[in-house]
Amino acid sequence: MTMLRCLLSLPVVLLAAEHLLGEVLTYERDIRPIFKEHCFQCHGEAGVRKGNLDVRLKRFLVQGGESGAAIVPGKPDESYLLDRLRSGEMPPGDDASKKVSDEEVARIERWIRSGSPTARDEPELLTDELLITAEERAFWSFQPIERPPVPEVQHAEMVRNPIDAFVLRRLEEQGMGFSPPADSVTLLRRAYFDLHGLPPTPEAADQFERDTSSSEWPALIDSLLDSPRYGERWARHWLDVAGYSDSEGYTEDDVERTWAWKYRDWVIRAINSDMPFDQFVRWQLAGDEMVTPPYAELPSQDLDKLIATGFLRMGPDGTGGKTVDANLAKNEVIAETIKIVSTSLLGLTVGCAQCHDHRYDPIPQTDYYRFRAVFEPGYNPRAWRNPKSRLVSLYTSADREAAAAIEQKAKAVEAERTKKQQEFIDRTLEKELAKLPEEIRETVRGARDTPQKERTPEQTALLKKYPSTNVSAGSLYLYDRKAADELKKMADQAAKLRGEKPAEEFVRAMTEVSGKVPETYLFYRGDHEQPKQAVEPGDLSVLICAEEDKDCIPVNNDTIPTTGRRLAFAGRLTDGSHPLLARVFVNRVWMHHFGRGLVNTPSDFGYLGDRPTHPELLNWLAAEFMASGWSLKELHRLIMTSTAYQQSLCASDERDPDNTLFGGTRMRRLEAEVVRDSLLAISGKLNEKRFGPPVPVMADRVGQFVVGQENLNAGRPGAVIPMKGEEFRRTIYIQARRSRPLTILDTFDLPRMEPNCEKRNSSTVPTQSLLMMNSEQVTQMADLTAQRVMAEVGDDVPAQISLAWRLAYSRQPSAEESQQAKQFLRQQTEHFEKHPVKQAATNTKTDADDRNPAEVAFGTLCQAIFSSNEFLYVD
Amino acid sequence: MSTEQIRAISSRRHFLASSALSVSSVALAWLQQQETAQAEGSKKPNLEPQSFDQLPRSGHHEPRAKAMISLWMQGGPSHIDLFDPKPEMQKYDGKTFPGEIKYDNAAQASSRVLASPWKFRRHGECGTELSELVPNIAGVAADICLIRSMHTGVNNHGQSIRALNSGRIVGGRPTVGSWLTYALGSEAQDLPAYMALIDPGQLPVMGVENWSNGWLPALYQGTVIRAQEPRILNLQPPPYLAGDVQDRTLAFLSKLNQRHYAQRPGQLDLEARIKSYELAALMQDAAAEAMDVSRESKAVQRLYGMDEPATKEYGTRCLIARRLVERGVRFVQVFTQNQFWDHHGSIITSLPKACQKVDKPSAALVADLKQRGLLDSTVVHWGGEMGRLPVIQNDAGRAKVGRDHNTYGFSMWVAGGGFRRGLAYGSTDEFGHRAVENIVNHYDYHATLLHLFGLDYERLAYLRGVREETLIDGQPARVVNDLLDA
Repeated sequence: MTMLRCLLSLPVVLLAAEHLLGEVLTYERDIRPIFKEHCFQCHGEAGVRKGNLDVRLKRFLVQGGESGAAIVPGKPDESYLLDRLRSGEMPPGDDASKKVSDEEVARIERWIRSGSPTARDEPELLTDELLITAEERAFWSFQPIERPPVPEVQHAEMVRNPIDAFVLRRLEEQGMGFSPPADSVTLLRRAYFDLHGLPPTPEAADQFERDTSSSEWPALIDSLLDSPRYGERWARHWLDVAGYSDSEGYTEDDVERTWAWKYRDWVIRAINSDMPFDQFVRWQLAGDEMVTPPYAELPSQDLDKLIATGFLRMGPDGTGGKTVDANLAKNEVIAETIKIVSTSLLGLTVGCAQCHDHRYDPIPQTDYYRFRAVFEPGYNPRAWRNPKSRLVSLYTSADREAAAAIEQKAKAVEAERTKKQQEFIDRTLEKELAKLPEEIRETVRGARDTPQKERTPEQTALLKKYPSTNVSAGSLYLYDRKAADELKKMADQAAKLRGEKPAEEFVRAMTEVSGKVPETYLFYRGDHEQPKQAVEPGDLSVLICAEEDKDCIPVNNDTIPTTGRRLAFAGRLTDGSHPLLARVFVNRVWMHHFGRGLVNTPSDFGYLGDRPTHPELLNWLAAEFMASGWSLKELHRLIMTSTAYQQSLCASDERDPDNTLFGGTRMRRLEAEVVRDSLLAISGKLNEKRFGPPVPVMADRVGQFVVGQENLNAGRPGAVIPMKGEEFRRTIYIQARRSRPLTILDTFDLPRMEPNCEKRNSSTVPTQSLLMMNSEQVTQMADLTAQRVMAEVGDDVPAQISLAWRLAYSRQPSAEESQQAKQFLRQQTEHFEKHPVKQAATNTKTDADDRNPAEVAFGTLCQAIFSSNEFLYVD
Repeated sequence: MSTEQIRAISSRRHFLASSALSVSSVALAWLQQQETAQAEGSKKPNLEPQSFDQLPRSGHHEPRAKAMISLWMQGGPSHIDLFDPKPEMQKYDGKTFPGEIKYDNAAQASSRVLASPWKFRRHGECGTELSELVPNIAGVAADICLIRSMHTGVNNHGQSIRALNSGRIVGGRPTVGSWLTYALGSEAQDLPAYMALIDPGQLPVMGVENWSNGWLPALYQGTVIRAQEPRILNLQPPPYLAGDVQDRTLAFLSKLNQRHYAQRPGQLDLEARIKSYELAALMQDAAAEAMDVSRESKAVQRLYGMDEPATKEYGTRCLIARRLVERGVRFVQVFTQNQFWDHHGSIITSLPKACQKVDKPSAALVADLKQRGLLDSTVVHWGGEMGRLPVIQNDAGRAKVGRDHNTYGFSMWVAGGGFRRGLAYGSTDEFGHRAVENIVNHYDYHATLLHLFGLDYERLAYLRGVREETLIDGQPARVVNDLLDA
C-alpha cells in the first residue's frame, strides 16, 4: 500500500484557482452535478435513456435524442434543454424541492453561452457504471491525510499546543481571538461531564480549588481517564454510532436481544484500557476471522475478538420473529448493517446507492453491492441463520455433559406427568358422562373414543350437543383445578431440575460458515427479488486509485477458514492511509468535547455534508491521532489541555454568530443519560456495579417506561417487584429496548436506534419542565438527596444549603443565594408543619408516620436545583 | 383556552406576573421553535434526528370529524340482549342450538339456547330496535349509527382489543388515537393530544397497551387521566407539592435561573428553557381547569347522572371527556374496568347493573355534544371487543347462566363526526352468532374513521426504518360509505 492513496492534491489546487477567477464553467465541475442529481436516473443511468437522450457527457447533449439536440454550444436560445428546464417540464413531477433551481438553470445557460467547455477530453467509452470524474475524486474528504504545518499566529502566547494555533489562526483572520479562560469550577464540571458524564463530588471540587498549580489540570484529566466511569461515558458515544440495542426491533414484538450486553461490556472495557482505535475497529469488523473455528473454549482474548463482532450484529433483525416478508427482513438486516458501518466508520451515506447510483457522491450502485459482498458471507441470505441460531455458546464439553444428565432426569419427570394427565382427563370425562342421561352415556363415550376423523355425522352431532365432554389437556383446568395444580407442580419440578444445569452463556457474534461462500448480486432498483449481475467484493471505487488495489478484497482467502473479506477490508481501513476513518473519528471526538464537529455533519463527509470549518486542523488531528498509536486517551489529553478547550463561554459576536470558529465555549445541555446518572450520583444512590445483563424496563400503570421487572396478568400490571438497588444503576446498564425508551430519557431526547444515531438532538420543550416539576422519578431523587444532605450535615440549615450547592453545582452558594434558600426553606417547612406529609405506605406499614417537614421542604429545594439551568447545562 | 382564561390562570402565578413576557408570546416562541425544527433538512438524506410535534395539521381531504371520544366497553357487551333483537330465538329458548358454535370455555359449555330475557322496542323516527336495558341510549337513537355486523374473528379479549384498537391482533402497534394525533396533531397545545380516562377500579385487559403509541414517537402515546391525584402524572404535581408549595418552588427556580442567565446573556437555549417552565405551568393549569367539572352547571351535571351513585363516577368521566374535546383534544378514551362486560355467568343480574352505570352518561354525552353544536365534528364510539353467544354458559340454574365470547358478529354504535344518524346497519344470523350481511371488519371501521377525519387510509403512513407502516397494514379494507351521512 502506498502512503498516499490518491495523488490528486495538485488538480484540486488548480481547479480551485480556476474557480476563483469565476470565468470558465466546465461540464464536469459545474454542470454534471446538477444533471447527476436530477436527470441521470432517466437519461443515462443503468442503460435507461428516455427520449433516447443521455446527459452524462457533453457530447451526448450536443448529439441529443428524439427531440433533436439538447444543447447548441454558444446558443442558449436554441438549446431545447433550457426550454424544458425553464418550463418546469423537466425533471417531471410536482415536487418543487426536486426541481432544478433558477440559479442552476442560469449556470447551465452561462455554460452553454460560453461554448459548453469540458475540463478535458471526454472518455471515448462510457459503460453503464457511473463514471467517477477527476473533479469528484478531488473532493476534500477523499484526499490523503497529510500533516499540515502548524500555522503562525499573532498571539503565540495563547498557544498551548498545535490545536490552538490552527483555531487561533482562523479567529485572527476575522480579527477575533480566544475568549478568556474559564474559571476553575466551570473547567472542573466541563471535564467531569465530558469524561464521566457525572458531576464532580464536593471533595473533588474542594481539592481542585485548593490546588491551583498549573500541573493540576493535566493531572485531573489523567485521573478522570483512569477511572472506570470514563469507559462507561465514552462507550455510550460509540454505542450510539454502532446502534446498540437490547432488542431486535423490526417486528412488532421487538424481541429481547438477550446477549448484546457482552458487546456493550467489551466496548466499555476496550475504551477504559485505551485499546488502539485501529485494533478496536479491526476486531469489530473481523474479530471472528482472526480466531480459528470451532469457536469453543476460547482463550479470553480470542473470545473478546468474537464478542467485538457484535458490532455487525447491532442492526435491527426481525428474522427471528413473525414477519410478513421473510426475504425482505433478511435483506434489511444487511442493508441496515451497511448503513451502520458506512456512517460510523466512513462518514459516507453509502446506503443511498442501494437502489441507484448515489445522487451526490461518486458511489455507483455497483459499489454498494461490492461493499455488501464484503459482509455477505457472514449473513448469507441463501442459508440464513436467525438471531438465535447465530449465537455462539460458551458451554464447555463438561458443561454439556452435566446438562445432558440433568435433561434426562427432567424428561423422566415429564413422562410421569403426561401419564398422570391422561388419568385426570379420563377421570374427568367419567364425571361429565355421569351427568348425562344414563341411556346415552355409552353412545357418547363411544363417540368420544372414536378418533375425530373416523366419527360418523351422528357422533359429531352428539358431541356438539354435549360440548362439556370435550375434555382435553388444554381445558382440564376448567374442570378440575386441583388436578391441574398437581400437573403444574410436576411441570415446575422439571423446570426446577433444568434450572440446575450449568448456566449457558452466549456471544452475539458475526461468524461465517466455513466453506459456504454466497454469490452477491446487484439488485435492480434495490429490489432483492430482482437480482442482476453477480459482483465481487471490493472497496468503494473512489477510494481505489492504484490499479493493484482493485483486488484488495479477496473473494476467498485460502489460508484461513473464513473468506477473509472483512479481514482484508478492516486491514485496508486501518492501514494508516485511509482518508476517512481517522478524520471521521477525530471529528466525532471533537464534537463531543466542543458541542460541534469541525465537520458539522459527523456522518456525512460527502457532497451534501458540511465542509470542515478547519480542514488543516482536522488533518493535523487525524495525523496526530494515528501517530500516537490511535490512542483515544491521548486525543482527549491533547484536546483538553488546549487553550481552545479551556475557554469560557463564548460571548455573542456577529462576526461568528454560530461560534463555528470556536472562539469560546458552547453551552451544552446534559444528555438524557447524564441527567439521570447525575441525579443518582447527587442523591448518593448511584449503584456503581459494573457490567452484566441489562436491568429490565417495564411499563408502569399508566404506560410510562420505568426501570422494573415486568409482571403482567392478562396484559395488566401486577404487583411491583422490588429491584434491590438495581434501579439505581448507571443508564448504560439499563435495558435499551427499542420499543421501551425509559420515560425520563425519552423526554430528554434519547435517540431511537433506527438503525443508529450519528448526532443527538437537544430540544427544549415543556414536557421536560413538567417532568422536572412533577415526576416521581425526579421527586424521589430530590427526597433522597434531602435525606443524604441531612444525614451528612445534620440540622445546620446553612451547611445543608452549602452541601446541596456543592453537590449539584460544585460551588458554594453566594451569600444572597444562601439567604434566599434559607427563606424558601423556612416557608416550605412552615407549610409542611401545618400540612404533614405521610411517608409512603409500605406493605408492612399501613399507618405510616409523618415525614420530617424540614426534609420534605429540603426535597423541594433540591427539585428546584435539579430543574435549574446551572444543573442542566455545562458551559 | 381563551386569552382571558390564560390571564386568569396566570395571575395566580406571581413569577409569571413579574415576567415581561406575555403568555401568548411564550407559547408562540415554543411553537415557532417546533416549526423550525420540522422544516429543516427536507432535501438531505434522513440522517438528522427527526422531531415531531402536535401542531394541528390538515389531512388528505376536508374532514368531517375533528375529535373522537371512544367509550370502551371492555369485556364484550351482550349485543343480543342490548342492540340486536332476535325474536326467533324465543322459540329455541332452553333447547339445543341448531347450528355450529365455537366455544371458548369447554367445561362450562352447553348447547342450550338462551333467548334474551329483555324486551326490545323501536325508538326514534328511525325506529331502531333497542333493549329496555339501555333506555337512555334509546333516547338518542335518532343520533346514533348502530352497526350490528361487527367482526374481528379472534375469540380472545386481548387479541380482539388489539384488532379494534390498533388494527392487528399482534401487540406493539400504535392505537387509533396515536395514528390520529400523529396525522393531525391537536387543536390544543396546552393539553396532551390524546388522553385516556381509566376506571378507578382496574385497567382493562391489555393494560397500558390500550393507549400505546407502538413504534410511533412517544409524543403520540395516550396520556392517562387517573382517578386519584395527581390525575395526570408529570402534568400535575403530587398532592403534597401542589398549589403554593410548587408556586414557591417555581419562584425560587426562577431566581436561580435568572441569576444564572444574567451571567450568560444572549444564550438563547437558557432563555428558552426559562420560558418552557412558564409554559409548563400554564399547561398544568389548563389540565386542571379541563378536568374541573365543578365549573359545569348543576343541570349539566345531572344530565350526566352525577347526582346518582350508580352513574356519578362514569358520568364524571364522560363529562371530562366532553370538556377535553371542547378544548381541542383530538382523541379521548373512556374505559370501563377489567372485564366489566365479560358476563360468563349471572348475566341476568350483572348485565342490567353494567348498563345502569354507563347508559345514562353515554346518552348524555351524545345529547350534550349535540346541544353544543359539537356532535357534527366529534365521533362518539360506544363498544367493546366482542359480543356474546346465543347459548348458555354455566348451565347451573337461571341465576348463574352466562354467555361466552363471540367475535364473529357483534354490535357497537358510533355517533357524530359524519356518521349517519338514526341508522341500524348490517345484521347477524337469526341467533346473532355470525355477522352475515354488510359485515364491518375492524379494518373497515378504521378505514371509515380515518376517512371521516380527512385521511386516506392507504396514504396515512409512518416510515419505520425503510418500511411504510399503516394502520390497516394491507388488510382488505374499505370505507363503508353506507355509514356516512349524506
